[in-house]
Amino acid sequence: MIQPQTHLNVADNSGARELMCIRIIGASNRRYAHIGDVIVAVIKEAVPNMPLERSEVIRAVIVRTCKELKRDNGMIIRYDDNAAVVIDQEGNPKGTRIFGAIARELRQLNFTKIVSLAPEVL
Amino acid sequence: MEVSSVVAGDVRQLLPLCRCTGVLPTPLPLTVPVKKKLKLNPNPGLGFLSSGSRASSFCSLISRMSLGPNMSEDTDDMYDDLFEKYGKVVFRRNDQKPPSAEVDDDAESLTFFLDDMMTVVVAVAMAKVASEVKAADIRVLFVKPLVYWTRFFIIATAFSRPQIDAIGSKIRDVAEKKHGKIPSGDSKPNSWTLLDFGDSVIVGDARPQAGFVLLASWTVLW
Repeated sequence: MIQPQTHLNVADNSGARELMCIRIIGASNRRYAHIGDVIVAVIKEAVPNMPLERSEVIRAVIVRTCKELKRDNGMIIRYDDNAAVVIDQEGNPKGTRIFGAIARELRQLNFTKIVSLAPEVL
Repeated sequence: MEVSSVVAGDVRQLLPLCRCTGVLPTPLPLTVPVKKKLKLNPNPGLGFLSSGSRASSFCSLISRMSLGPNMSEDTDDMYDDLFEKYGKVVFRRNDQKPPSAEVDDDAESLTFFLDDMMTVVVAVAMAKVASEVKAADIRVLFVKPLVYWTRFFIIATAFSRPQIDAIGSKIRDVAEKKHGKIPSGDSKPNSWTLLDFGDSVIVGDARPQAGFVLLASWTVLW
């Protein structure tokens, strides 16, 4: 349940450390975003000497949420944090590594590169 | 010398005791085989043995009867009865499947095996196609034991973006025409591209260090 003003961790090595959601892409008046949704976010905290700077506006795809993800088979997945991966306009990740476990729903949403880089897919 | 209790299967052990002392231990626990034996050889005084004379006669009777063969005959009779009643199979597990279901299971496993073999063939064919377009460092990695979502990773290195484009388009064409598989993944090649065939994933890369990055992350984290 990511909404504007929500702070998220960054699950890649793109250089950003913390994001704040400012817009959810996909609908005109959508209230919440879930795993696999693309958001527009601003970088609130960044790693020094990296291409991404603080207060830069970027796109990111949500890979982990504290809100439960329910599957059709009854499985419920809930992570400890809200996290996103920084992507470009075409959906390719800006970083070269992904940290932490991600959900397999991202593969159906055509984020195959992120899935292939992830250390664990739930 | 007295024996306080004897289990049913140890009746034969009593015989030397009875011969020595002539005293029958009371009460004598008689169980099914012994009762059957009593039925086969009826003796009205056996159930009330308490005196020494009756005990000695009982012992002599038992010694004459030679218990072993008769007991085995009794078990044979019992098994014969069970076989007549239930057939040859006396015990059957509840979770057994009918023969038709087992045939279905065999067919399913055979299908999986054939599916695996087809995937191997397609993966090697894709690697050969990449080799035809002069990709370097082609690796076909069997990752099924490591990740559940694919079976093969095929990694190829190119030296320029046009070459990546050429490799990607050639693999797409061959997979669609020869094997009927349409990959998902980015249609517009980037510095690295990925073709997802479901069973196999092909990663093409133009960066010199990227293949190392991918392999290093797999090695460390998986």
